[in-house]
Amino acid sequence: MSAPVEEEYEALLQFMYMAPIGLVQTLADGEITMINPLCAQLLMPLSPDGQLANLFTALEAVVPDLRQRVQDFPDVHGTVCDALQVPIATGQPGRRQSQVLALTLLKLDAERLMAVISDVTQSVRRDRELRQSQAWINTLAIGLTDYALVSLDHHGCVQDWNPSIARITGFTEDQVIGRSLSMFYPEDAISEQRVLDRLHEADRTGWSLDEGWCVRADAGRYWGSCLIAPLHDRDDALTDEHAYSLIIRDVSDRREAAEALLKAVSCDHLTGLLNRRAFVEAVELEMQRWARFPRPLSLVMIDADHFKRINDQYGHAAGDAVLRHLAAGMTATFRAMDVLARFGGEEFVVLLPDTTLEGAEIVAQRLCQLLASQAVEVGGQAVRYTISAGVATMDADVSDFDALMQRADEALYAAKAGGRNRVERWQPALQSAAVR
Amino acid sequence: MNTEQTLSFSNAALFDYLDRASDAELDSLDFGVIGMDDATQVRRYNRFESAAAGLSPDRVIGHALFTVVAPCMNNFMVAQRFEDAQQDGSVLDDTIDYVLTLRMRPVKVKLRLLARPGSDLRYVLVHRQT
Repeated sequence: MSAPVEEEYEALLQFMYMAPIGLVQTLADGEITMINPLCAQLLMPLSPDGQLANLFTALEAVVPDLRQRVQDFPDVHGTVCDALQVPIATGQPGRRQSQVLALTLLKLDAERLMAVISDVTQSVRRDRELRQSQAWINTLAIGLTDYALVSLDHHGCVQDWNPSIARITGFTEDQVIGRSLSMFYPEDAISEQRVLDRLHEADRTGWSLDEGWCVRADAGRYWGSCLIAPLHDRDDALTDEHAYSLIIRDVSDRREAAEALLKAVSCDHLTGLLNRRAFVEAVELEMQRWARFPRPLSLVMIDADHFKRINDQYGHAAGDAVLRHLAAGMTATFRAMDVLARFGGEEFVVLLPDTTLEGAEIVAQRLCQLLASQAVEVGGQAVRYTISAGVATMDADVSDFDALMQRADEALYAAKAGGRNRVERWQPALQSAAVR
Repeated sequence: MNTEQTLSFSNAALFDYLDRASDAELDSLDFGVIGMDDATQVRRYNRFESAAAGLSPDRVIGHALFTVVAPCMNNFMVAQRFEDAQQDGSVLDDTIDYVLTLRMRPVKVKLRLLARPGSDLRYVLVHRQT
Protein backbone atom coordinates (compact mmCIF):
# COMPACT_ATOMS: atom_id res chain seq x y z
CA MET A 1 0.00 0.00 0.00
CA SER A 2 1.27 3.49 -0.80
CA ALA A 3 1.59 5.94 2.03
CA PRO A 4 -1.67 7.89 1.48
CA VAL A 5 -3.69 4.70 1.09
CA GLU A 6 -2.11 3.33 4.22
CA GLU A 7 -3.01 6.50 6.05
CA GLU A 8 -6.56 6.36 4.76
CA TYR A 9 -6.78 2.75 5.82
CA GLU A 10 -5.63 3.72 9.29
CA ALA A 11 -8.13 6.56 9.44
CA LEU A 12 -10.88 4.18 8.36
CA LEU A 13 -9.76 1.68 10.97
CA GLN A 14 -9.92 4.33 13.66
CA PHE A 15 -13.33 5.43 12.40
CA MET A 16 -14.53 1.89 12.99
CA TYR A 17 -12.80 1.71 16.38
CA MET A 18 -14.51 4.89 17.50
CA ALA A 19 -17.96 4.30 16.01
CA PRO A 20 -20.44 4.74 18.88
CA ILE A 21 -22.54 1.82 17.72
CA GLY A 22 -21.84 -1.89 17.75
CA LEU A 23 -21.25 -3.55 14.40
CA VAL A 24 -20.60 -7.20 13.82
CA GLN A 25 -20.50 -9.43 10.79
CA THR A 26 -20.88 -13.16 11.01
CA LEU A 27 -21.19 -16.25 8.90
CA ALA A 28 -24.60 -17.89 8.60
CA ASP A 29 -23.87 -20.02 11.67
CA GLY A 30 -23.09 -16.93 13.75
CA GLU A 31 -19.31 -17.22 13.64
CA ILE A 32 -17.95 -13.71 14.06
CA THR A 33 -15.71 -12.53 11.24
CA MET A 34 -15.63 -8.79 11.91
CA ILE A 35 -16.52 -6.89 15.05
CA ASN A 36 -15.93 -3.37 16.20
CA PRO A 37 -14.95 -2.35 19.75
CA LEU A 38 -18.28 -0.99 20.88
CA CYS A 39 -19.91 -4.26 19.93
CA ALA A 40 -17.30 -6.12 21.97
CA GLN A 41 -17.86 -3.77 24.89
CA LEU A 42 -21.59 -4.58 24.87
CA LEU A 43 -21.25 -8.31 24.21
CA MET A 44 -18.30 -9.29 26.41
CA PRO A 45 -20.23 -9.01 29.68
CA LEU A 46 -22.92 -11.28 28.19
CA SER A 47 -20.71 -13.90 26.64
CA PRO A 48 -21.12 -17.15 28.57
CA ASP A 49 -17.72 -18.51 27.50
CA GLY A 50 -15.79 -15.24 27.71
CA GLN A 51 -15.23 -15.38 23.98
CA LEU A 52 -16.60 -13.61 20.99
CA ALA A 53 -16.27 -16.42 18.50
CA ASN A 54 -19.98 -16.74 17.79
CA LEU A 55 -22.71 -14.11 17.96
CA PHE A 56 -25.49 -16.58 18.72
CA THR A 57 -23.46 -18.00 21.59
CA ALA A 58 -22.64 -14.54 22.94
CA LEU A 59 -26.33 -13.61 22.94
CA GLU A 60 -27.59 -17.02 24.00
CA ALA A 61 -28.64 -16.00 27.49
CA VAL A 62 -30.62 -12.96 26.37
CA VAL A 63 -31.91 -13.87 22.91
CA PRO A 64 -31.97 -17.66 23.00
CA ASP A 65 -33.94 -18.01 19.80
CA LEU A 66 -31.69 -15.88 17.59
CA ARG A 67 -30.17 -18.83 15.79
CA GLN A 68 -33.64 -20.22 15.18
CA ARG A 69 -34.89 -16.88 13.90
CA VAL A 70 -32.11 -16.79 11.37
CA GLN A 71 -32.76 -20.38 10.32
CA ASP A 72 -36.47 -19.68 9.97
CA PHE A 73 -35.91 -16.49 7.97
CA PRO A 74 -37.28 -17.34 4.55
CA ASP A 75 -35.67 -14.70 2.31
CA VAL A 76 -32.19 -14.65 0.84
CA HIS A 77 -31.59 -11.25 2.35
CA GLY A 78 -33.50 -8.92 4.60
CA THR A 79 -34.06 -7.83 8.19
CA VAL A 80 -34.31 -10.75 10.59
CA CYS A 81 -35.05 -8.51 13.54
CA ASP A 82 -35.35 -4.76 13.74
CA ALA A 83 -34.28 -2.88 16.87
CA LEU A 84 -35.31 -5.77 19.09
CA GLN A 85 -35.06 -4.54 22.66
CA VAL A 86 -32.99 -6.87 24.81
CA PRO A 87 -32.92 -6.17 28.55
CA ILE A 88 -29.70 -7.29 30.19
CA ALA A 89 -28.03 -7.00 33.55
CA THR A 90 -24.30 -6.59 33.87
CA GLY A 91 -21.81 -5.73 36.54
CA GLN A 92 -20.39 -7.37 39.59
CA PRO A 93 -22.69 -9.11 42.03
CA GLY A 94 -24.33 -6.57 44.29
CA ARG A 95 -23.75 -3.75 41.86
CA ARG A 96 -25.64 -4.98 38.91
CA GLN A 97 -26.83 -2.46 36.42
CA SER A 98 -29.58 -2.98 33.96
CA GLN A 99 -29.14 -2.04 30.39
CA VAL A 100 -31.30 -2.34 27.35
CA LEU A 101 -29.67 -3.22 24.08
CA ALA A 102 -31.30 -2.79 20.70
CA LEU A 103 -30.42 -5.51 18.22
CA THR A 104 -30.94 -5.29 14.49
CA LEU A 105 -29.91 -8.32 12.49
CA LEU A 106 -29.63 -8.26 8.73
CA LYS A 107 -29.18 -11.22 6.49
CA LEU A 108 -26.80 -9.98 3.80
CA ASP A 109 -26.86 -13.16 1.75
CA ALA A 110 -26.83 -16.91 2.27
CA GLU A 111 -23.41 -16.81 3.92
CA ARG A 112 -23.30 -13.57 5.83
CA LEU A 113 -25.17 -11.77 8.58
CA MET A 114 -24.60 -8.30 9.94
CA ALA A 115 -25.84 -7.03 13.28
CA VAL A 116 -26.10 -3.55 14.70
CA ILE A 117 -26.16 -3.41 18.48
CA SER A 118 -26.61 -0.27 20.51
CA ASP A 119 -27.20 0.64 24.10
CA VAL A 120 -30.67 2.21 24.28
CA THR A 121 -30.90 2.21 28.09
CA GLN A 122 -31.27 5.97 28.25
CA SER A 123 -33.97 6.27 25.64
CA VAL A 124 -35.93 3.43 27.19
CA ARG A 125 -35.65 5.24 30.52
CA ARG A 126 -36.94 8.42 28.94
CA ASP A 127 -39.89 6.50 27.49
CA ARG A 128 -40.62 5.17 30.95
CA GLU A 129 -40.57 8.64 32.42
CA LEU A 130 -42.86 9.81 29.68
CA ARG A 131 -45.27 7.05 30.53
CA GLN A 132 -45.18 8.14 34.15
CA SER A 133 -46.10 11.67 33.10
CA GLN A 134 -48.93 10.26 31.06
CA ALA A 135 -50.19 8.41 34.10
CA TRP A 136 -50.20 11.74 35.90
CA ILE A 137 -52.10 13.44 33.15
CA ASN A 138 -54.62 10.64 32.97
CA THR A 139 -55.21 10.95 36.68
CA LEU A 140 -55.83 14.64 36.33
CA ALA A 141 -58.19 14.03 33.46
CA ILE A 142 -60.22 11.41 35.32
CA GLY A 143 -61.48 13.71 38.01
CA LEU A 144 -60.89 16.70 40.15
CA THR A 145 -60.40 14.75 43.35
CA ASP A 146 -56.96 14.88 44.83
CA TYR A 147 -54.67 11.92 44.43
CA ALA A 148 -51.39 10.52 45.65
CA LEU A 149 -48.88 9.32 43.11
CA VAL A 150 -46.57 6.68 44.51
CA SER A 151 -43.74 5.01 42.63
CA LEU A 152 -43.23 1.36 43.52
CA ASP A 153 -40.39 -1.08 42.97
CA HIS A 154 -40.84 -4.69 41.90
CA HIS A 155 -41.72 -5.75 45.45
CA GLY A 156 -44.47 -3.14 45.62
CA CYS A 157 -42.38 -1.01 48.00
CA VAL A 158 -42.46 2.77 47.86
CA GLN A 159 -39.44 4.15 46.00
CA ASP A 160 -39.73 7.91 46.06
CA TRP A 161 -41.34 10.57 48.11
CA ASN A 162 -43.59 13.38 46.98
CA PRO A 163 -45.97 15.62 48.91
CA SER A 164 -49.10 14.15 47.31
CA ILE A 165 -48.59 11.04 49.46
CA ALA A 166 -48.82 13.14 52.62
CA ARG A 167 -51.85 15.02 51.31
CA ILE A 168 -53.91 11.90 50.77
CA THR A 169 -52.57 9.46 53.31
CA GLY A 170 -51.08 11.65 56.03
CA PHE A 171 -47.92 9.55 56.15
CA THR A 172 -44.49 11.17 56.25
CA GLU A 173 -41.54 10.39 54.02
CA ASP A 174 -39.81 8.34 56.75
CA GLN A 175 -42.91 6.25 57.22
CA VAL A 176 -43.39 5.23 53.61
CA ILE A 177 -40.03 4.93 51.84
CA GLY A 178 -39.15 1.28 51.36
CA ARG A 179 -42.44 0.10 52.86
CA SER A 180 -44.91 -2.08 51.02
CA LEU A 181 -48.01 -0.52 49.49
CA SER A 182 -49.98 -2.70 51.91
CA MET A 183 -49.39 0.07 54.47
CA PHE A 184 -52.06 2.14 52.73
CA TYR A 185 -54.67 -0.54 53.40
CA PRO A 186 -56.26 -1.74 56.63
CA GLU A 187 -54.07 -4.21 58.45
CA ASP A 188 -55.61 -7.45 57.24
CA ALA A 189 -56.86 -6.28 53.86
CA ILE A 190 -53.90 -7.18 51.67
CA SER A 191 -51.08 -9.66 52.11
CA GLU A 192 -47.60 -9.29 50.65
CA GLN A 193 -48.39 -12.10 48.26
CA ARG A 194 -51.50 -10.23 47.15
CA VAL A 195 -49.35 -7.18 46.52
CA LEU A 196 -47.21 -9.24 44.14
CA ASP A 197 -50.34 -10.66 42.53
CA ARG A 198 -51.59 -7.17 41.80
CA LEU A 199 -48.24 -6.15 40.31
CA HIS A 200 -48.35 -9.26 38.16
CA GLU A 201 -51.88 -8.48 37.04
CA ALA A 202 -50.80 -4.94 36.18
CA ASP A 203 -47.96 -6.46 34.10
CA ARG A 204 -50.36 -8.75 32.33
CA THR A 205 -53.20 -6.37 31.57
CA GLY A 206 -51.56 -2.96 31.70
CA TRP A 207 -53.18 -1.94 34.98
CA SER A 208 -54.76 -3.20 38.16
CA LEU A 209 -57.57 -1.20 39.69
CA ASP A 210 -59.44 -1.77 42.90
CA GLU A 211 -61.69 0.17 45.15
CA GLY A 212 -62.06 -0.30 48.87
CA TRP A 213 -61.18 0.86 52.32
CA CYS A 214 -57.82 2.53 52.72
CA VAL A 215 -56.23 3.78 55.89
CA ARG A 216 -54.52 7.04 56.76
CA ALA A 217 -51.59 7.60 59.11
CA ASP A 218 -54.01 8.58 61.88
CA ALA A 219 -55.79 5.21 61.38
CA GLY A 220 -58.79 6.99 59.88
CA ARG A 221 -60.36 5.19 56.94
CA TYR A 222 -61.33 6.47 53.53
CA TRP A 223 -62.74 4.82 50.45
CA GLY A 224 -59.90 4.71 47.97
CA SER A 225 -59.63 3.99 44.28
CA CYS A 226 -56.18 2.53 43.69
CA LEU A 227 -54.68 2.10 40.25
CA ILE A 228 -51.40 0.27 39.71
CA ALA A 229 -49.78 0.74 36.30
CA PRO A 230 -46.46 -0.71 35.16
CA LEU A 231 -43.80 1.77 34.12
CA HIS A 232 -41.67 -0.81 32.33
CA ASP A 233 -42.27 -2.49 29.04
CA ARG A 234 -44.56 -5.43 29.05
CA ASP A 235 -41.84 -7.70 27.66
CA ASP A 236 -39.19 -6.41 30.02
CA ALA A 237 -37.77 -9.69 31.23
CA LEU A 238 -35.82 -8.43 34.22
CA THR A 239 -38.33 -8.62 37.02
CA ASP A 240 -36.09 -6.86 39.51
CA GLU A 241 -36.09 -3.79 37.30
CA HIS A 242 -39.84 -3.58 37.12
CA ALA A 243 -41.35 -0.38 38.46
CA TYR A 244 -44.91 0.74 38.93
CA SER A 245 -47.03 3.78 39.57
CA LEU A 246 -49.66 3.60 42.27
CA ILE A 247 -52.31 6.28 42.13
CA ILE A 248 -54.55 6.53 45.17
CA ARG A 249 -57.63 8.72 45.04
CA ASP A 250 -59.92 9.38 47.93
CA VAL A 251 -63.35 8.70 46.47
CA SER A 252 -65.20 8.50 49.79
CA ASP A 253 -68.03 10.54 48.32
CA ARG A 254 -68.53 7.79 45.78
CA ARG A 255 -68.37 4.99 48.30
CA GLU A 256 -72.06 4.57 48.98
CA ALA A 257 -72.96 4.44 45.33
CA ALA A 258 -70.08 2.06 44.60
CA GLU A 259 -70.88 -0.17 47.55
CA ALA A 260 -74.55 -0.25 46.73
CA LEU A 261 -73.79 -1.29 43.17
CA LEU A 262 -71.32 -3.90 44.32
CA LYS A 263 -73.78 -5.27 46.85
CA ALA A 264 -76.61 -5.45 44.37
CA VAL A 265 -74.69 -7.65 41.98
CA SER A 266 -72.47 -9.71 44.22
CA CYS A 267 -73.90 -9.96 47.70
CA ASP A 268 -76.36 -12.21 49.36
CA HIS A 269 -79.24 -9.98 50.39
CA LEU A 270 -79.80 -11.65 53.75
CA THR A 271 -76.29 -11.82 55.14
CA GLY A 272 -74.36 -9.25 53.09
CA LEU A 273 -71.70 -11.85 52.32
CA LEU A 274 -70.80 -12.61 48.71
CA ASN A 275 -73.30 -14.67 46.79
CA ARG A 276 -72.40 -17.90 45.11
CA ARG A 277 -71.73 -16.31 41.72
CA ALA A 278 -69.42 -13.63 43.11
CA PHE A 279 -67.64 -16.25 45.17
CA VAL A 280 -67.00 -18.39 42.11
CA GLU A 281 -65.57 -15.33 40.31
CA ALA A 282 -63.29 -14.53 43.23
CA VAL A 283 -62.23 -18.17 43.34
CA GLU A 284 -61.31 -18.15 39.66
CA LEU A 285 -58.96 -15.22 40.21
CA GLU A 286 -57.42 -16.93 43.26
CA MET A 287 -56.98 -20.14 41.30
CA GLN A 288 -55.19 -18.25 38.50
CA ARG A 289 -52.87 -16.77 41.10
CA TRP A 290 -52.32 -20.19 42.62
CA ALA A 291 -51.58 -21.75 39.25
CA ARG A 292 -49.04 -19.08 38.42
CA PHE A 293 -47.38 -19.32 41.78
CA PRO A 294 -48.58 -22.04 44.17
CA ARG A 295 -48.79 -20.80 47.74
CA PRO A 296 -50.96 -21.76 50.70
CA LEU A 297 -54.65 -21.47 49.87
CA SER A 298 -57.28 -22.95 52.15
CA LEU A 299 -60.99 -23.34 52.18
CA VAL A 300 -63.39 -23.56 55.10
CA MET A 301 -66.88 -24.89 54.58
CA ILE A 302 -69.31 -24.02 57.35
CA ASP A 303 -72.76 -25.36 58.06
CA ALA A 304 -75.18 -24.35 60.80
CA ASP A 305 -75.99 -27.41 62.91
CA HIS A 306 -79.59 -28.64 63.05
CA PHE A 307 -80.73 -25.57 61.14
CA LYS A 308 -83.97 -27.22 60.07
CA ARG A 309 -84.79 -27.80 63.71
CA ILE A 310 -84.22 -24.08 64.49
CA ASN A 311 -86.55 -23.09 61.67
CA ASP A 312 -89.19 -25.57 62.80
CA GLN A 313 -88.90 -24.63 66.47
CA TYR A 314 -88.58 -20.84 66.31
CA GLY A 315 -89.83 -19.94 62.81
CA HIS A 316 -88.16 -18.66 59.68
CA ALA A 317 -87.48 -15.21 61.12
CA ALA A 318 -85.35 -16.86 63.78
CA GLY A 319 -83.64 -18.90 61.10
CA ASP A 320 -82.78 -15.72 59.18
CA ALA A 321 -81.52 -14.07 62.37
CA VAL A 322 -79.24 -17.04 62.98
CA LEU A 323 -77.84 -16.83 59.45
CA ARG A 324 -77.22 -13.09 59.83
CA HIS A 325 -75.60 -13.70 63.20
CA LEU A 326 -73.42 -16.41 61.73
CA ALA A 327 -72.38 -14.12 58.85
CA ALA A 328 -71.54 -11.31 61.28
CA GLY A 329 -69.48 -13.73 63.35
CA MET A 330 -67.61 -14.79 60.22
CA THR A 331 -66.93 -11.19 59.22
CA ALA A 332 -65.56 -10.48 62.69
CA THR A 333 -63.40 -13.60 62.75
CA PHE A 334 -61.88 -13.81 59.29
CA ARG A 335 -59.60 -11.25 57.67
CA ALA A 336 -60.65 -8.61 55.20
CA MET A 337 -58.67 -10.37 52.47
CA ASP A 338 -60.53 -13.64 52.98
CA VAL A 339 -63.41 -14.30 50.63
CA LEU A 340 -66.60 -14.94 52.61
CA ALA A 341 -69.72 -16.18 50.92
CA ARG A 342 -73.08 -17.73 51.60
CA PHE A 343 -73.07 -20.69 49.33
CA GLY A 344 -76.69 -21.61 49.73
CA GLY A 345 -79.19 -22.33 52.52
CA GLU A 346 -77.29 -22.56 55.78
CA GLU A 347 -74.01 -23.35 54.07
CA PHE A 348 -71.14 -20.86 54.04
CA VAL A 349 -67.67 -20.92 52.54
CA VAL A 350 -64.50 -18.96 53.21
CA LEU A 351 -61.51 -18.90 50.92
CA LEU A 352 -58.33 -17.99 52.79
CA PRO A 353 -55.43 -16.84 50.60
CA ASP A 354 -51.91 -17.33 51.95
CA THR A 355 -53.22 -19.55 54.72
CA THR A 356 -52.16 -23.08 55.54
CA LEU A 357 -54.46 -25.88 56.56
CA GLU A 358 -53.41 -25.39 60.19
CA GLY A 359 -53.95 -21.64 60.00
CA ALA A 360 -57.42 -22.06 58.52
CA GLU A 361 -58.31 -24.68 61.12
CA ILE A 362 -57.34 -22.35 63.97
CA VAL A 363 -59.52 -19.53 62.67
CA ALA A 364 -62.41 -21.89 62.03
CA GLN A 365 -62.06 -23.20 65.60
CA ARG A 366 -62.23 -19.66 66.89
CA LEU A 367 -65.44 -19.04 64.97
CA CYS A 368 -66.91 -22.30 66.17
CA GLN A 369 -66.21 -21.43 69.82
CA LEU A 370 -67.39 -17.84 69.41
CA LEU A 371 -70.77 -18.83 68.01
CA ALA A 372 -71.29 -21.61 70.55
CA SER A 373 -70.75 -19.10 73.36
CA GLN A 374 -73.34 -16.62 72.11
CA ALA A 375 -77.08 -16.55 71.80
CA VAL A 376 -79.21 -14.83 69.16
CA GLU A 377 -82.06 -12.70 70.44
CA VAL A 378 -85.19 -13.35 68.37
CA GLY A 379 -88.51 -11.95 69.58
CA GLY A 380 -87.42 -12.01 73.18
CA GLN A 381 -86.09 -15.53 72.94
CA ALA A 382 -82.46 -16.49 73.16
CA VAL A 383 -81.69 -18.95 70.39
CA ARG A 384 -78.49 -20.91 70.71
CA TYR A 385 -76.90 -22.69 67.79
CA THR A 386 -73.61 -24.23 66.77
CA ILE A 387 -71.76 -24.82 63.55
CA SER A 388 -69.66 -27.54 62.01
CA ALA A 389 -66.81 -26.78 59.68
CA GLY A 390 -64.54 -28.65 57.29
CA VAL A 391 -61.15 -27.36 56.28
CA ALA A 392 -59.10 -28.27 53.21
CA THR A 393 -56.10 -26.79 51.48
CA MET A 394 -54.76 -26.66 47.92
CA ASP A 395 -51.94 -28.96 47.05
CA ALA A 396 -50.54 -30.58 43.95
CA ASP A 397 -53.03 -33.45 44.22
CA VAL A 398 -55.99 -31.11 44.06
CA SER A 399 -56.79 -30.75 40.40
CA ASP A 400 -59.17 -27.81 40.55
CA PHE A 401 -61.42 -25.85 42.82
CA ASP A 402 -64.22 -28.37 42.66
CA ALA A 403 -61.81 -30.94 44.03
CA LEU A 404 -60.90 -28.58 46.86
CA MET A 405 -64.59 -28.01 47.61
CA GLN A 406 -65.05 -31.77 47.60
CA ARG A 407 -62.34 -32.18 50.24
CA ALA A 408 -63.77 -29.41 52.45
CA ASP A 409 -67.16 -31.03 52.08
CA GLU A 410 -65.76 -34.40 53.15
CA ALA A 411 -64.15 -32.76 56.18
CA LEU A 412 -67.44 -31.02 57.01
CA TYR A 413 -69.20 -34.35 56.80
CA ALA A 414 -66.65 -35.80 59.21
CA ALA A 415 -67.30 -32.91 61.63
CA LYS A 416 -71.03 -33.59 61.46
CA ALA A 417 -70.50 -37.31 61.90
CA GLY A 418 -68.17 -36.62 64.83
CA GLY A 419 -70.99 -34.96 66.77
CA ARG A 420 -71.20 -31.41 65.33
CA ASN A 421 -70.02 -28.14 66.94
CA ARG A 422 -66.51 -28.90 65.76
CA VAL A 423 -63.96 -28.35 63.02
CA GLU A 424 -62.38 -31.16 61.04
CA ARG A 425 -59.59 -30.94 58.58
CA TRP A 426 -59.49 -33.02 55.45
CA GLN A 427 -57.29 -36.11 55.67
CA PRO A 428 -56.65 -38.76 53.06
CA ALA A 429 -58.54 -41.28 55.18
CA LEU A 430 -61.72 -39.22 54.86
CA GLN A 431 -61.87 -39.81 51.17
CA SER A 432 -63.07 -43.38 51.46
CA ALA A 433 -65.09 -42.74 54.62
CA ALA A 434 -67.02 -39.99 52.88
CA VAL A 435 -68.54 -42.23 50.30
CA ARG A 436 -72.14 -41.83 51.17
CA MET B 1 20.10 -5.28 25.36
CA ASN B 2 19.32 -4.92 29.01
CA THR B 3 18.29 -7.74 31.24
CA GLU B 4 14.89 -6.25 31.94
CA GLN B 5 13.78 -7.13 28.45
CA THR B 6 13.26 -10.63 29.69
CA LEU B 7 10.51 -9.37 31.94
CA SER B 8 7.41 -11.31 31.15
CA PHE B 9 3.80 -10.21 30.94
CA SER B 10 3.10 -11.72 34.32
CA ASN B 11 6.17 -10.49 36.17
CA ALA B 12 5.28 -9.21 39.61
CA ALA B 13 7.66 -6.26 39.44
CA LEU B 14 6.42 -5.08 36.06
CA PHE B 15 4.92 -1.84 37.33
CA ASP B 16 8.25 -0.47 38.51
CA TYR B 17 9.82 -1.42 35.21
CA LEU B 18 7.10 0.25 33.11
CA ASP B 19 7.30 3.46 35.11
CA ARG B 20 11.05 3.68 34.47
CA ALA B 21 11.25 2.24 30.96
CA SER B 22 12.13 4.36 27.96
CA ASP B 23 9.95 4.31 24.86
CA ALA B 24 12.48 2.07 23.17
CA GLU B 25 12.36 -0.34 26.06
CA LEU B 26 8.57 -0.50 25.92
CA ASP B 27 8.75 -1.05 22.18
CA SER B 28 10.97 -4.04 22.68
CA LEU B 29 8.40 -5.90 24.78
CA ASP B 30 6.49 -8.77 23.20
CA PHE B 31 3.15 -7.67 24.57
CA GLY B 32 1.08 -4.52 24.23
CA VAL B 33 1.49 -1.68 26.69
CA ILE B 34 -0.99 1.15 27.02
CA GLY B 35 -0.26 3.71 29.72
CA MET B 36 -2.93 6.22 30.69
CA ASP B 37 -3.01 9.12 33.11
CA ASP B 38 -5.52 9.71 35.87
CA ALA B 39 -7.93 11.23 33.36
CA THR B 40 -7.80 8.03 31.23
CA GLN B 41 -5.88 9.80 28.45
CA VAL B 42 -3.35 7.60 26.70
CA ARG B 43 0.25 8.67 27.48
CA ARG B 44 2.22 5.64 26.37
CA TYR B 45 1.53 3.23 23.54
CA ASN B 46 4.15 0.71 22.59
CA ARG B 47 5.04 -0.74 19.22
CA PHE B 48 3.51 -4.15 19.83
CA GLU B 49 0.13 -2.65 20.61
CA SER B 50 0.35 -0.18 17.75
CA ALA B 51 1.04 -2.93 15.25
CA ALA B 52 -1.69 -5.18 16.61
CA ALA B 53 -4.34 -2.47 16.55
CA GLY B 54 -3.15 -0.96 13.28
CA LEU B 55 -2.97 2.51 14.79
CA SER B 56 0.13 4.66 14.98
CA PRO B 57 0.90 6.17 18.40
CA ASP B 58 0.18 9.73 17.23
CA ARG B 59 -3.46 8.76 16.56
CA VAL B 60 -3.77 7.44 20.06
CA ILE B 61 -1.59 9.38 22.46
CA GLY B 62 -3.45 12.19 24.15
CA HIS B 63 -6.84 10.61 23.47
CA ALA B 64 -9.22 9.04 25.94
CA LEU B 65 -8.57 5.31 26.17
CA PHE B 66 -12.11 4.13 26.83
CA THR B 67 -13.91 6.26 24.28
CA VAL B 68 -11.51 6.88 21.42
CA VAL B 69 -8.89 4.16 21.54
CA ALA B 70 -10.45 1.06 23.04
CA PRO B 71 -14.19 1.45 23.56
CA CYS B 72 -14.37 -2.32 23.87
CA MET B 73 -12.84 -2.02 27.35
CA ASN B 74 -15.37 0.53 28.53
CA ASN B 75 -17.41 -1.75 30.74
CA PHE B 76 -17.39 -3.14 34.24
CA MET B 77 -14.82 -5.76 33.35
CA VAL B 78 -12.05 -3.25 32.57
CA ALA B 79 -12.87 0.45 32.91
CA GLN B 80 -14.85 -0.08 36.10
CA ARG B 81 -11.89 -1.81 37.76
CA PHE B 82 -9.68 1.21 37.13
CA GLU B 83 -12.39 3.56 38.37
CA ASP B 84 -12.88 1.54 41.53
CA ALA B 85 -9.15 1.41 42.25
CA GLN B 86 -8.89 5.16 41.69
CA GLN B 87 -11.80 5.85 43.98
CA ASP B 88 -10.63 3.52 46.72
CA GLY B 89 -6.97 4.50 46.37
CA SER B 90 -6.15 0.82 46.15
CA VAL B 91 -3.66 -1.23 44.18
CA LEU B 92 -4.99 -2.92 41.06
CA ASP B 93 -3.20 -5.87 39.53
CA ASP B 94 -5.75 -8.11 37.84
CA THR B 95 -5.26 -10.37 34.86
CA ILE B 96 -8.37 -11.28 32.91
CA ASP B 97 -9.25 -13.13 29.75
CA TYR B 98 -10.71 -10.80 27.20
CA VAL B 99 -11.44 -10.39 23.53
CA LEU B 100 -10.16 -7.35 21.68
CA THR B 101 -11.30 -6.28 18.27
CA LEU B 102 -7.93 -5.73 16.68
CA ARG B 103 -8.58 -4.50 13.16
CA MET B 104 -12.17 -5.65 13.63
CA ARG B 105 -11.14 -9.26 14.23
CA PRO B 106 -12.05 -10.78 17.56
CA VAL B 107 -8.74 -11.70 19.19
CA LYS B 108 -8.46 -13.58 22.45
CA VAL B 109 -6.08 -11.85 24.81
CA LYS B 110 -5.07 -11.71 28.42
CA LEU B 111 -5.35 -8.23 29.84
CA ARG B 112 -3.30 -7.25 32.86
CA LEU B 113 -4.68 -4.16 34.57
CA LEU B 114 -2.22 -2.24 36.71
CA ALA B 115 -2.82 0.79 38.90
CA ARG B 116 -1.47 1.96 42.22
CA PRO B 117 -1.94 5.09 44.29
CA GLY B 118 0.72 7.75 43.80
CA SER B 119 1.75 6.55 40.37
CA ASP B 120 1.37 8.95 37.44
CA LEU B 121 0.30 6.29 34.99
CA ARG B 122 -1.93 3.27 34.97
CA TYR B 123 -1.41 0.43 32.52
CA VAL B 124 -3.36 -1.97 30.39
CA LEU B 125 -1.10 -4.78 29.19
CA VAL B 126 -2.24 -6.92 26.30
CA HIS B 127 -0.96 -10.43 25.78
CA ARG B 128 -2.22 -12.32 22.78
CA GLN B 129 -3.30 -15.80 23.67
CA THR B 130 -2.01 -18.55 21.50
